[in-house]
Amino acid sequence: MRRETREYNFDWMLWSAFSSASRIKMGTEKEYRTVLKYIPYFRGIAEAMLGTGEAGQKFIDCCAAYLDNLVNARERGLKTAITTFCFSPAIMYALDIMPICLEVLTVMQTLSYKRGTVEFLDYCNEVGYTETSCSAQRGSLGAYLAGVGAEIDMIVTDTPGVCDTNANAFSFASAYLDKPFFQLDMPPQLDGERSDDYHIGDFKGLIAFLEQHSGRKLDLDRLREVMREIEKQDELVAEIEDLARLVPNPLPVPFNFMVHGSRFLFAGMKECTAALEAMLKLGRENAARGISGLTGGVEKLRGFWCYIDHYTQSMRLWQMLDRNGICYEGNILSRSWAMNAPHVKEFGKEDAAYSLDLTDLDSMIRSMALLNSRMPMVKSIRGPYDAPNMWLEDNLNLARMYRADFIVYNGTPGCRNTWGMVKLMARDTEKAGIPTFIMYADAFDDRVESWEATQERFEEFLKVRGLL
Amino acid sequence: MMEDFREVARVLNNRFVQKWKDEGKKVVGYTCSYVPDEIFYAAGILPYRVRGFGAGAMTIGDTYFGPFICSLPKCMLQLAGQGDFDFLDGAIITPGCDSMRRLDECWRKMHDDTKEHMPGFFFHFGVPHKYTEYSVKWFVDETRRLIRAAESHFNVAIKNEKLLEAIKVHNVTRELMNRFDEIRTRKDPPVAGADSLAIVLAGTAMPRDDYNRLLGDLVEEIGKSAKKLNGRKRLMLLGSANDDVDLVKIIEGERALVVADNLCFGSRFYSDLVSEEGDPVEELAKRSLAHNDCPRMYGEYRERLKKIKEKVATAGVDGVILQNIRFCDLHGSENGLFERDLEKEGIPCMRLEREYGPIVESGRMRMRIDAFLERLG
Repeated sequence: MRRETREYNFDWMLWSAFSSASRIKMGTEKEYRTVLKYIPYFRGIAEAMLGTGEAGQKFIDCCAAYLDNLVNARERGLKTAITTFCFSPAIMYALDIMPICLEVLTVMQTLSYKRGTVEFLDYCNEVGYTETSCSAQRGSLGAYLAGVGAEIDMIVTDTPGVCDTNANAFSFASAYLDKPFFQLDMPPQLDGERSDDYHIGDFKGLIAFLEQHSGRKLDLDRLREVMREIEKQDELVAEIEDLARLVPNPLPVPFNFMVHGSRFLFAGMKECTAALEAMLKLGRENAARGISGLTGGVEKLRGFWCYIDHYTQSMRLWQMLDRNGICYEGNILSRSWAMNAPHVKEFGKEDAAYSLDLTDLDSMIRSMALLNSRMPMVKSIRGPYDAPNMWLEDNLNLARMYRADFIVYNGTPGCRNTWGMVKLMARDTEKAGIPTFIMYADAFDDRVESWEATQERFEEFLKVRGLL
Repeated sequence: MMEDFREVARVLNNRFVQKWKDEGKKVVGYTCSYVPDEIFYAAGILPYRVRGFGAGAMTIGDTYFGPFICSLPKCMLQLAGQGDFDFLDGAIITPGCDSMRRLDECWRKMHDDTKEHMPGFFFHFGVPHKYTEYSVKWFVDETRRLIRAAESHFNVAIKNEKLLEAIKVHNVTRELMNRFDEIRTRKDPPVAGADSLAIVLAGTAMPRDDYNRLLGDLVEEIGKSAKKLNGRKRLMLLGSANDDVDLVKIIEGERALVVADNLCFGSRFYSDLVSEEGDPVEELAKRSLAHNDCPRMYGEYRERLKKIKEKVATAGVDGVILQNIRFCDLHGSENGLFERDLEKEGIPCMRLEREYGPIVESGRMRMRIDAFLERLG
């Protein structure tokens, strides 16, 4: 790592960028345009989000507020826990613990900084973590291993049984930093009494761990308050997901990211609700007018991403889709598995969904445990990919429901769990009549495959398959 | 005896397996040390550890697996697709790691294409990643589910008395191996690391009664042996699974001896006895799950480090080789931690990344190991 990188606190740098971004629309349009010239590497993403109006503003406010909590965690008396994107942070908020979500921070850094997370990625390797591990965690973990991030109190993951490289990042961090560690382990089957009991037993263990290391007792009323907010958020997300079924899809391309980003940062908190409400408002307005959310106004194609996006510098993936009139129908991260989610009803997948019961502590813990076990990736990439409720079934159902013209897989070379079967999955979706493209890029590191090469291959796919 | 072990270590469908099959008996393969093979012994079925040894190409493996995957399961699939495991009547796949758990789907899809090379019994065995009251309960239930499935498919009864008998027989192996370990780690041991690996490998690929008999004789014989492999640097081998005797031979060369390990095809095979008291299924599950030697058991690094330090001390190890198969992030990353913490204690370490399969880079390995041995003095 360069000496000068060590001079700046990682969290503070991100907070500075996003809190500034949250204010750039406060002045006149002329002032806004002038400021954009000074943030050439953040400009694309800022424009894309703020271009959606109130929704984008609320989302950037969300990011800024989250980072403000992070840099001021100690002053505000909060304990900190490194955690992961497929873990609902609501339980931590209920215990006044600041969740430090590695993947979200990696995305924030990689899309807004010229050099992305390169130095932090490499720093992990310098201290012994394998270069073949997933870049989603490495991108920000390097900062914490180097001691240029917030002080860490504990480490929590919920990916054992789902994703080794993810779980291993947290296990490694715990050993390297000598911090307490807790894992929520996922059995191969999602549903059924055995799995439910395991999820609930594990979640109780998590609460005991969080109480022990935060010095706080779980407050029933506080938990209920957080869960009521989740209920609201699930309703909002369900309606947003329903809007995405319309042709044309009234949601702008960045909305998918903003929906799941809000939930990863602030599930169960009012900031997330406000951002989702603003997104739904614009979606409804566009739907009422029968217009597409694409800036060109014309929807030519509908694409479904079966895994994750490509996030590097300025989210050029969004720009490419928007430019080509390709409507973005979401990815694995954006799906909620609340009982009211449209795909749950459409395909009768109530067994794979969760519902919230706020009656008493036991029912709330059960609800939270089942909610957490239905988080993105944790829900569908645990057992064999072609088992009930797993990846193939979800992909086929969702691609059909959203009338996708094609499916794209993108991940990272560190993703052992999907690279072990993505060829099989693509073969199955092709057999089902949906053209499927496997990207060989790294969602967080352009050094693996340049964006230009990725874009060229993607456009070639569209051309060869006669899609565009 | 040693020749028997060496032969079994190198031949998948070895003569012991062939004889077993000729007698009309069944063989079930499994991919991970977390499968309690006592279950199959109790059913009169030969439990057989599936390996990738001998794969000369990756054409089939690469057809189904993606590119960023450990070459061990790819080699296993390659051999399966070539028909090298056609003698198996069953296979059990575990989520030992992400690469290995996907052998389940890849094997099944290969069969969909070829309509060949698929054992009649195929079972996904869910092994938790932690040892707690509720994970033990899960694992006990999972073990019972495996037993029921095997009973149903093979039309056998796996009774508690048979399981208890199987536990006793397997505990004999563990006790013999512990005696062998004591011999192997002597000041001037009579046996090389390559042969030690062959002995372990044989235990995973031949009937247990035959194995115990041969092992008992061998331990007796080498225990009294006057042969001394002295004057060599004493190494400990850690990291990813290795079932290739030749890799150990390359490491040992003429100047070193691998006197200890903490490998899947190594000490994990025989460490810890299963309690012969209580419910046998519960005891089997507890013994398997309590094994935290594999980094798949997250958050147990300190315990593993402690064990390794103890072993380094008792075996008089001069240096530790931390090897991993490319894309084995679990061992690869933990090797980074071991290197940091063992070097701090003055224990020299060398990290070595490799591919599983035919050893085509012996020159590079030899050169690096020579340099490491020079460091050891």
